[in-house]
Amino acid sequence: MAVNIRKLAYFLTGLFVVLIIYLFYLNLWQGPVLANHPYNKRAAAQEAMVQRGTISDCHGVVLAKTITQRGLKKRIYPQGEDFAPLIGFISLRYGHTGLESVYNQELLGISTVSKLKNFINRLTHRPLAGNSLILTLDASLQHLARQLLNNQRGAIVALDPRTGAILALASAPGYDPNTIDKAVNLGTGKKITEFDLLKKDPTAPFLNRATQGVYPPGSAFKIITLAGALTYAPEAVQGTYNCTGSTMVEGFRLTDHSVHGEVYFQQALAVSCNAYFARLGLALGQNKFYQNALSFGFNQNPGEGDKLWQDIYSPGKVTLPGQMSKPELASSAIGQGQITVSPLQMALATAGIANAGVIMKPYLLSEVRSPNGGTLGKNAPKRWKTATTPLVAGLVNGAMQAVVEYGTGQAAAVPGLKVAGKTGSAQNPQGKTHAWFVGFAPAESPRVVVAVVIEQKGTGGVVAAPIAREMLRAALSNR
Amino acid sequence: MWFIARLKERTLLLIASAYFLTGAGTIYLTRPGDNKGLFLTGAGVLILALFALSYMWQRLDFNGNQYLLPLAAIFSYTSLIFLYRLDQAYALRQFIWLLAGLAIVAFITCFLRNYNFLADYKYIYAVLGIIGLVLPIFWGTEQGGAKSWLDLGFFHIQTSEFVKILLVLFLASFLTENRLILAKGTRNFYGFTIPGPQEWGPLVLMWAISLLLLIFQKDLGGALIFFSTFLAMVYVATARIFYTISGASLFLIGTAFCYRYFEHIRWRIKVWLNPWPYADTAGYQVLQSLFALSAGGLTGTGLGNGFPNFIPAVHTDFIFAAITEEIGLLGGIGIIILYFLFLYSGFQVAVKTKDEFASLLASGLTALIGIQTFVIIAGVTKLLPLTGITLPFISYGGSSLGANFIILGLLLVVSQEYPERSRSG
Repeated sequence: MAVNIRKLAYFLTGLFVVLIIYLFYLNLWQGPVLANHPYNKRAAAQEAMVQRGTISDCHGVVLAKTITQRGLKKRIYPQGEDFAPLIGFISLRYGHTGLESVYNQELLGISTVSKLKNFINRLTHRPLAGNSLILTLDASLQHLARQLLNNQRGAIVALDPRTGAILALASAPGYDPNTIDKAVNLGTGKKITEFDLLKKDPTAPFLNRATQGVYPPGSAFKIITLAGALTYAPEAVQGTYNCTGSTMVEGFRLTDHSVHGEVYFQQALAVSCNAYFARLGLALGQNKFYQNALSFGFNQNPGEGDKLWQDIYSPGKVTLPGQMSKPELASSAIGQGQITVSPLQMALATAGIANAGVIMKPYLLSEVRSPNGGTLGKNAPKRWKTATTPLVAGLVNGAMQAVVEYGTGQAAAVPGLKVAGKTGSAQNPQGKTHAWFVGFAPAESPRVVVAVVIEQKGTGGVVAAPIAREMLRAALSNR
Repeated sequence: MWFIARLKERTLLLIASAYFLTGAGTIYLTRPGDNKGLFLTGAGVLILALFALSYMWQRLDFNGNQYLLPLAAIFSYTSLIFLYRLDQAYALRQFIWLLAGLAIVAFITCFLRNYNFLADYKYIYAVLGIIGLVLPIFWGTEQGGAKSWLDLGFFHIQTSEFVKILLVLFLASFLTENRLILAKGTRNFYGFTIPGPQEWGPLVLMWAISLLLLIFQKDLGGALIFFSTFLAMVYVATARIFYTISGASLFLIGTAFCYRYFEHIRWRIKVWLNPWPYADTAGYQVLQSLFALSAGGLTGTGLGNGFPNFIPAVHTDFIFAAITEEIGLLGGIGIIILYFLFLYSGFQVAVKTKDEFASLLASGLTALIGIQTFVIIAGVTKLLPLTGITLPFISYGGSSLGANFIILGLLLVVSQEYPERSRSG
């Protein structure tokens, strides 16, 4: 009988082993799926126990906070639409978006740093509270940007080129993050919420156009081409060029709006001569053109190891040199063709010119504070890329001042202030051109860079330049 | 050498106590509430009671297995820690039942040491068992979907918990007498030697009883455990895989029949195959269990830090999910390994004893614990359809705990190593 008992024991042991293997599978393999399943109430319950941290701007203006209303915790956004979709929203039903999602762990105080502290809080039965975030944004500037956008599709970025601190990052159309869960009655009897409506909205209000918009840069890109030519093909920039109103590249015709006649590089930028810059692109060649775009941050994310930019930033895209034909090279040099950018990418490239050739790493989060107000971490300015030399940056800066003084960007001029800039009117398959303006001021020692894009609203000089002017004026008056 | 007698047992009890005090200490420090002092006092009383039991055995020269009590202690401690964490009222009642359980073990190991007389009452077991099964059908109350409870006024008793033990006792005595006939077979049937109806009759009877349980008490888990234990014991006694296979087929046929004609069985299977469409209704419990099982990762959320109360009936059938959520995959596997060690000790007892009845009794009781553990853990993890049964020694419940401690007591008396001098007596 001992043999039989042993066999029975082996059989039961086998069952237990199966159980253990299955538990491993369930826990490690299925675990992440189950943890994020909408029927799993754990994440929400965990959050409900914690007083979520406040988000405020650089002057202490509250952008998002959690209040308790009739025993229920509620997240409110006092600035309404201004910061959506950048800050995003939290919803039991639709999850977290924007900064609320990126910095969820900090806001709940569940990042590894706070684990020990939370354990001590449990031991002492203190209520759990998350950390507060202080952003580099300026709520008044952001509000102005939203007003200037005036619900037209587009985006505005303002940043400090000396540090990389982002001052405004506005996208339109926006939405009100306070009412995302609200039921909407369309009279059709179907139960839908604000979120459902916004999701179906063809103008894509959830898209953060400032960081994730994909636009052709148009003529605004010419500042990058110019910097490249001054560095790698200086002979092409010397002397003048006679613009006849168009140029042929291997049977492909690039046209200008008018015949510019004899131009040298400052004038060419000021009048935005396509033929001249197509020629500079060809003089650079595919490899140097590509290399120059890379040094201005194209095809790269400034967020190596920074979850924020990994999550919300789409870098500018430039075609690999091996896949670039001559006509494509000429079109790319004037910001058309396959080349695409986000407004933030354009602002960073412009910052490279403004900051004597150095692009600082962009940042939004200036400080994380513990619930009792102590500083847990501060962001210090860091270099990101060396875009060009101070000499070349100075030359491009001068040419950009010419744009505002007597060229296409005169609408951006601010009396008593030297403004440098570049317009763009990017052709796109959807219809009217996207209006671009990138610039900075004061030109002799730039403190603010702006990038403006308004979708399908005409030329940059008419539509975008006045907006940039107001942004520069406001940003410099209260700084 | 009296001072080293049962030293191993007390060393292990000491380790178990350290485990208990760590858990109780964590709860004491992290959970708000007024009864925490009472909890620590209870913990102290239980630890002392277990040491007292070990000391008493030493004084009375009881030389049973030294691993079983420490294992039961760890299970009981786990039970108290988690029940206190889930609901303090359950922990208090479980504490009282635990003390009663220890009293049962003390009683069995003091007065039933010469257990051989147990082999003589097989028909009494059968009659008591049938009464125990039939009573709830007529006078039972329904709890947790199964109608297997008797309302005795001041408390409820689940008779099937005790009938399981009667079944093992009956089979041990019946098979001791008949195992040779059953093993050999008396007739030839298409090349297989099979015994006559007087021998396989009980097998069919058992099948019928299990099925009745299934139908009238809606107790799928109970039926499964009854029948599996029965098959395990028949296999141990006869070594004939024929009984096991034909028995298992009979059970499957029975289940298929029930699937066809009984709604509640059909639901169990449906939810097992795909619980998601019924996530708010019939599938709710097992899905919440899956969420809990996977919430803790490798090391768990920490004691008191998870949300096991999202699972309905977490303190009884689903306590394993709560344990895994809070002490992690490693903790859950640790518990399974402890059950494995319990089985190992139990089968060791069964193999070592020279007496056939004792050997069958020990292997039956051990198999019972093993099968029950597997079926409930497989149920809450959705490896098998969910069946409402308890996790031995850990789940909340007086009937279950009492029955488990009777099993512990019986295993302990069977495990005695008779010194030559008392062998004659």
